[in-house]
Formats: sequence, structure tokens, C-alpha cells
Amino acid sequence: MKELKFLIAIWNTNLQSAMEYRAAFLTQVIGMMANNFIYFAIWIIFFERFKDVRGWGVNDMYVTFGVLASSFGIVNLLFGNAFMLSDIIAKGRLDYYLSLPRPVLLHTIASRSAASGMGDFLYGFISYGLSGYFTWDGLARYVLATLLAATVFASFLILTQSLAFWFGMMTNFSNLVLNAMLTFGIYPITLFDSYAKLILFTLIPAALMGAIPAEFIRAFTWQVLGELLLGAIGFLSLAIFVFNRGLRRYESGSAIQIEV
Amino acid sequence: MTSIEVTNLQKTFQTKRKAAGLSGSMRALIKPEYSLIEAVHNLSFRMEAGELLGFIGPNGAGKSTTIKMLTGILHPSGGEAKVLGFIPWKERQKLAYHIGTVFGQRPQLWYHLPAMDTFILFGKIYELDDKETKKRIEYLTEAFEIKDLLDVPVRKLSLGQRMRCEVAASLLHRPKLLLLDEPSIGLDVVAKQHIRDAIKRMNQEEGVGVLLTSHDAGDLEAMCRRVIVVNHGQIVYEDKVSNLKRKFLTTKLVEVRYAEEVSKDYAIDGVEILKVGHYGVKLKFDTTKTSVDSVMSHLSGAGDIVDITISDPPLEEVIAKIYQEANG
Repeated sequence: MKELKFLIAIWNTNLQSAMEYRAAFLTQVIGMMANNFIYFAIWIIFFERFKDVRGWGVNDMYVTFGVLASSFGIVNLLFGNAFMLSDIIAKGRLDYYLSLPRPVLLHTIASRSAASGMGDFLYGFISYGLSGYFTWDGLARYVLATLLAATVFASFLILTQSLAFWFGMMTNFSNLVLNAMLTFGIYPITLFDSYAKLILFTLIPAALMGAIPAEFIRAFTWQVLGELLLGAIGFLSLAIFVFNRGLRRYESGSAIQIEV
Repeated sequence: MTSIEVTNLQKTFQTKRKAAGLSGSMRALIKPEYSLIEAVHNLSFRMEAGELLGFIGPNGAGKSTTIKMLTGILHPSGGEAKVLGFIPWKERQKLAYHIGTVFGQRPQLWYHLPAMDTFILFGKIYELDDKETKKRIEYLTEAFEIKDLLDVPVRKLSLGQRMRCEVAASLLHRPKLLLLDEPSIGLDVVAKQHIRDAIKRMNQEEGVGVLLTSHDAGDLEAMCRRVIVVNHGQIVYEDKVSNLKRKFLTTKLVEVRYAEEVSKDYAIDGVEILKVGHYGVKLKFDTTKTSVDSVMSHLSGAGDIVDITISDPPLEEVIAKIYQEANG
């Protein structure tokens, strides 16, 4: 409860900071939604030609892309520094967070909001609404699945970016695996054999951000919910563990910083 | 009561070494070489509650690394430290409720927002009641003379104005100890004085202990009662500031600009003339041998003064003197 109050205060300040530049804020939100529409048009054209890929149709793509966009958006909006963690670690910018009485990881990642995240988040709901799978029950599952997929996604970012504690700047590597996560997340899961699926649940847990949440949204099963919960809790625990281990190796730095 | 107790504190960093140029980069890629840098070496000292302690030394002396270990930002490589009864790197969060920190090179105020928004956020971070936060902001606003600055976005403040807001923000939660790392870096004389006065006031009114790192001897003279001089991660001198001043801060550097052209054979008894220009003179004198009064009267007697700057010698020079004395 204490940390939730703190998070609300941070998000509130983030929002104020983002809204200082009204035009940039609005163009980012609207621009990102337009960007998603244009990107998804390629899939619409693809499924008009092929109709079905091993039992996977355009409606499934709407749901998968929707939950992926919403979970990506929510992380970008509420935990935007998860994308910058490697840079923050390597440049010694954790000092600020370490000097305040709050959990370092939570404080760090929550201290930046990207307005474009709002565009992604809202776009996801529209995509789900257009999928043909929409029900009110499904919407509740959509919200839950988005939160769990966002947890997996944020944890994955923290894990890869925390490697900076050991190897220095990891931004490029992190971007590489981030792109792999998003690319595989949107692909129909039916395309992959069991070995590839194993990778998509573990090394690059794209299935836990796209196909599995989408399956849960379409129809409730305890098994899929269990997989999502297990994935979210497992990856989050691992991310926190790795970050805290790395923190012991943190070396700060003397770079002059111009802004927070 | 002791507020800081440090025993044999050590910090070693591993640094990658690379020869200059592309070939050096290629070699480092295939076979990286590392060397160890001992930033802090067996440091031991104590600081009493409410004390104003200066922790000074040249760049790379280990001042900031020590402060970072005392706030829990860095884990030491060896040794022990207790700050207000807490082991900083093990009890960082608990300790942070009782200390305030300002890193001159690392702003904590949100850049795009007015300082007031960061003050309110800090109130939440330190779990202060809204009424208490408001009351405290009013007090600090008056103490640091920042009433007109609080509603201006931080990016539009001057460095001096921003630093006043930074220090005020670090005192919002009534810390018992303030750790200031180069708070006056880059500030002009007036801005430095503002900060120094406000910090002294907080020390007198609230009993806040201050550990101050600086490489400006002026900060030390103005604020601290005791001083620790460090170099290469070790203590090279520890005494009252009054003793340090008497022994080592005896030289003054003076730069004068006159309205008329200066004679080439400009000279004053007991004063070393460093440079004579067309309209200006740069000189140095020892206050134990030549009085400030007599130098000033000579200077004003030589013509109409347009501008004058009197400064202490750089800290590097003071430390060199300390070394000389230690080595006989």
C-alpha cells in the first residue's frame, strides 16, 4: 500500500512532466496509434491472401497484436525507464535513486513515462474490439492478460538491461532481444515446433506476451491462466534477483548530469 | 554522540585499460586488460552529531567515493562504516530517511517541472503528511530565499538558483545529517555565499550535521569547524579549520584592474608580482608576513581600481604544502 501511494505520486509527477510539452504529448499518443494501424494493415493484407495459417486467422492476430501493444504500452507509460536501465546503470545514474528511501528498481523504472505508451495501450483495446472476439468477460480477461504480459515484458527488459552491471553498456544487445521479443510475440504460435516454443517460453518469452495471453482472452482455462501467472511471477522474481545481485557491483560514475 | 564512524574503509575499482587508437581498441576487444584503482585506502575518521566537517581534496582524491559509500550508493571493498548507527550499504533505505544528500553534479530536481513539484514528490517519497510538507516548504522557502523560484520550471533557473532549491529539497524531511558533494561547483561568489549562509543557518537552527566535500578552500573557511584533507584515497591532514588556515591558507592571490595604464615596474614590498599587464596586475602575498591592510592601501594608492578579485590558492597548492611539511 505504501509503495502504491509512492508509485501514484511518481506517475502523477511523470504525467505533469510529459504534459509540460502539450503538442509533443498529443502527437506521440496519436502518432503511435496511427503507426500501429499502418503496421497492422500488412497483416490484414496477408490474411486476405492466405486466410488461415495452421488454424490461425486474422481475428487471432487482432487479439494477439492488441494484447502485445497494450502490454508494451503500459510498460512504456508507467515504467518507461525499464527501456533505459542499461544506460542508467552504465552511466552511474542510479545514484539519485539509491540516495532516496525507496526500492531502487521500482523507483528507477517508474521515473519515466513515454507518452507514446498511451497510444500503444489504447490501440490494443481498439484492436481487441475489432477482433470479433469481444465480450465483456473477454474484456476483463484482456485487462488481466495485459497486466500479466506487461509484467513478463518489464521483467525481460530488466533482466537483459541489468547485464550492464557485469558487461557495461548493453543498450544495443537489449534492443536486439527486445525486437526479437516483439517480432516473435506477434507471429502465430502455431508456426513453431516444440523446440522453438520452448525458447519462446523461456529465453525470449514472446509467447507469454502474445499468443498465450491471446488464448486466455479468447477463452478462459485454468491451465492458461496458470501458465501466465507462473511466467509473470517467475520472470519478475528472476529479474529482481538479477538486478539486486548486479547492484552490488554498481560502480556509480562521475559524469555530469544535466537533468533527471 | 557520533554520527559517522569509519574504520579502514576501502574501495577498489577495476578499470579496463586500452592503448590509444583503433589498433588499441582491437587488441582490447580480443584480450582486454584491466587494472585496479584504489580510490579509497584504509580511511578512518569520526564525525560528531551536529558537526560541520569539511572533507576536501583535489579531483580524484576519493571524496565522492567516500560519500557514496556513506550513503549506501556504493558497496566498499573492505572496512567498516556506521552512519547514524546504520551500516549504509546494508541499511540504505532506513538510513535515507535520516540523511539528506546533494551531489553538485547530479541534480535531483525534475528538470522540466517547477521545483515545487519535486518538493511535493519528495514529501510523498519521505512519507510526510501533506500539511507537514507544506509547512516545511514555507520554512525552507524563507531560509533559502527561494519563494519566487518555486513556480519556475527548473530548466529556466540559473545554476545558483537551482542549487539553492536542490539543497532546500534535501532538507525537506528534517535530516540529522547532510552530505554535500561539491555543492558550490560552478557557482559564482554571490551564489556560493547564499548556499553557505543557508547551510550554516540550518546547522544552527536545527542542529543538522554537515559533511561537505569540496575542492574550494573558500567553502571550508566559510562553513566548517574541522577539516579532513584527503589525497589518493588517504587522509593527509586532519585538524581544526582555524589551524589549517593559520598554517597553510596564508597566501592570497589578488587580481586588480585599473582605470589607467599600469607602470611596468609596479612593485610592493613583501608582495610577489606574478604578472603586469597594460591595465591589470596579478600578485600574491603571505598574510603572515605582509598585512592585508598594507597591500590594499598600496593597491588603491597606485591608481583608480576598476575591479579586484581576492582568492585563496588552489587546494592542490595547499595539499602540496601539507605534504612538504609532513616530509620535513
